[in-house]
Amino acid sequence: MINRALLPAGGGENMLHCTDMTVLERQRARIKWQQEQQQQQFQLQQQEISYFTELADVFHQAGFHEGGLSEVVTRSVKPDPGLVDNGWNNDHVVGYGVGLPYNNGLGFELNYGAISRTSSCPPEAVAAVAAATVKGSESVVSDKISSGAGRESSKKRKVDKIQNNSKVVAEEDTRDKRIKGCAEQGESKITEKNNNKNSRNNNTNKNNNSNKENSDETSKDNSKVSEVQKPDYIHVRARRGQATDSHSLAERVRREKISERMKYLQDLVPGCDKITGKAGMLDEIINYVQSLQRQVEFLSMKLAAANPRLDFNVDNLFAKEAFPACSINFPTIGMSSDMTNPAYLQFNPAQQQLLACCGLDMGIDPPDMALKRTTSAPVSIPETFLDSSCFTQTHPPPTWDADLQNLYNVAFDQGRQTSFQTQPFTGDVKLSCLFLSALY
Amino acid sequence: MRAPRSVLKQQFLKKWMMGLQVFGSAKQSMSILERKKAIKLSADIALAATRDGRTCWSRAIIADASKDDGGKVLVQHLLSPESERLKKACTGLVMDNKRVRCKKILKRSCCIKRIRKGASKVALAKSISKRIVKRRTQVLKSLVPGGEFMDDISLIEETLDYMVSLRAQVDVMRRSLAKATEVVNGK
Repeated sequence: MINRALLPAGGGENMLHCTDMTVLERQRARIKWQQEQQQQQFQLQQQEISYFTELADVFHQAGFHEGGLSEVVTRSVKPDPGLVDNGWNNDHVVGYGVGLPYNNGLGFELNYGAISRTSSCPPEAVAAVAAATVKGSESVVSDKISSGAGRESSKKRKVDKIQNNSKVVAEEDTRDKRIKGCAEQGESKITEKNNNKNSRNNNTNKNNNSNKENSDETSKDNSKVSEVQKPDYIHVRARRGQATDSHSLAERVRREKISERMKYLQDLVPGCDKITGKAGMLDEIINYVQSLQRQVEFLSMKLAAANPRLDFNVDNLFAKEAFPACSINFPTIGMSSDMTNPAYLQFNPAQQQLLACCGLDMGIDPPDMALKRTTSAPVSIPETFLDSSCFTQTHPPPTWDADLQNLYNVAFDQGRQTSFQTQPFTGDVKLSCLFLSALY
Repeated sequence: MRAPRSVLKQQFLKKWMMGLQVFGSAKQSMSILERKKAIKLSADIALAATRDGRTCWSRAIIADASKDDGGKVLVQHLLSPESERLKKACTGLVMDNKRVRCKKILKRSCCIKRIRKGASKVALAKSISKRIVKRRTQVLKSLVPGGEFMDDISLIEETLDYMVSLRAQVDVMRRSLAKATEVVNGK
C-alpha cells in the first residue's frame, strides 16, 4: 500500500509546481497513475461497491497539498470500516492525494470541506448500497466501475463520473427498491444479463478512456472543480472554457446509460432481439406499450359487459392461484357489514355470506350475522361452506362446480380452523344454483 | 421467478377488488360504459398503488385520479391504509411538474438557436435519426403517465417499470375475465 503511494509520489514531486510543469510531464504522470488504478480496479471489480470510492476520488481530485494527505487518509478510512475494499480505497485516496495536486489555486479549506463531505457521504452511500440487493446494486456499480475505469484527474472525466454518480444514485434507489419490492422476472433477467454486460462495458470503457486520455490532457489544467455534495447526488460545476469537453463527456455517459437501459427493455419487449438502433427500439417499445394499454381498455370493456353489476369479486378472487384470500376479504367484509339494508342484501346475500364466512378473523361472528340477515334458503349455504372447509380436501362437494371447489380449497388453505359449526353436509344442485344466481 | 410476479399480481388484484367494491356499493345500476370506466379506473389506481409511490408514473396516475371526485374516493380508499405522505407526494407532483415543464420550455427555446450543419451525408443521416428518436421519445412520453416531465434516462426506467406493471395488469384482467365468462357460461 505504502509502496504504491510512494510510486506516484516520485512522479508527483514534479507536479507540485504545476505552473512550471510541462503538459507532457503531467501526461506521463497521469498515464502511469491510470494504469495502476486500472489494475487495481479490475482486481476488485467483482466484489467492490465502489460508489464511495469514486466520491473520494472525485473530491481528492479537487487537489490538495501533501500535508493534508494523512488527514485525507484517516477521514476516508472512517466511512468504510466493514467493506471489502477498504484497503483499496485507502490506496486510491493516498495515491491521488500524493500524485495529483495540480490545482494550486484551490483553497485548502475547500479541500477539507470536500474531504469532510466525502467522509460524510460514503456512509450514506454505503448504507444505501448495502441495503440494496447485490445484484441490484451491481448493475449500477458496474456502470460506475466501467465509467471510472479510465479515471484520472481530468475534470471532464470527473464531471462525467459525478453526473454518472448523481444520476446513478438516484436511479439506483428506485431500481433497487423496485427489485426489492417486486423483483419481476424481467428485471432479474436484466440483472443477470447485466453481469455479463459488465465485463463488456468495462473493456470498452477502458479502451475509450485510454484513447481519450492523451487528447484530453492538455485542456484540463486550468479548470477547477468545485463540488457541492448533497446526500443524494453530487453536483459539479466546471469553470468556463471547459464547457465543451465536459459536455461531450457528459453526453457520452448519458448515451451509455441510455443504451444500457435500452438493453433492459430489449429483454422485456418481445421480439426485440434483432433490433439494434435506438430508433427501432423506441418504435417497438411504443408499439408494445400501446398494445398493452389497448388490451387493458378492451379487457375492462369486456369485463363490464360480462358483469352487469360489478359483482364479480368473489368469483375472480378465488379464481387466482392460491393466495391468502382472507386478506382480500377483510375490506369486503368491512363493507358488507356496513350494508345492513335489506335492499343490498337481496342483491347478493350469498356473496356477503361467503365473504363473511371467510373473514372470521375480523371478529365478526358471520354465521350468526348471516343467519340473521338472510332467508332460509341461503342460510344453508354458509353452513355447507363452513362444513366443507372443515373437511379435508379429499371431500369436495361433488355437486358444486369448479369455481366453488376452488373457493373451498382456498378457504381450506387458509388453515384457519376457527369456530366452524359442524353440520351435516347438505350440498345439492339446488343450493349451487341459488348461490350462482345470487351472485349474478 | 414466479413468486415475485404473482405477488405483484395478487397485490394488484386485491387492490382492484377493493376499488370495485367502492363502486359496487355506490350504485347498483350503471351503464356499460360507466362500468367500464369504473373497472379501468380502479384497475389503474390499483396498479399505481402497488408501487407505493416509488415510481413517477404511479404518482402521476394517482395525482390525476385525485383531481376528480370519483377517483379521489378510490384513491383514499386504496391508499389510506398505507401512507398519508404518499398522497401528499402525489398532490405535490402537480406543482413539480409545472416547474419542470417551464424549465423545459426555456431550454427548448434556447436550443432552437443552434445552427444545423447538415452538409455531409453522415451528418445529415445523424440529424435525421436524431429527429426520429426525438419524435419517438415524445410519443413515448405521451404514453407513459407522467412522462412529459422526465428526462430520457428516467423515462426509460419508468417505461421499464410501467411495462412490467401493465403486463401484470393485463394478465390479471384477462384471467378474471376468463373466470367471469366461465361462470356465466356455466350457469
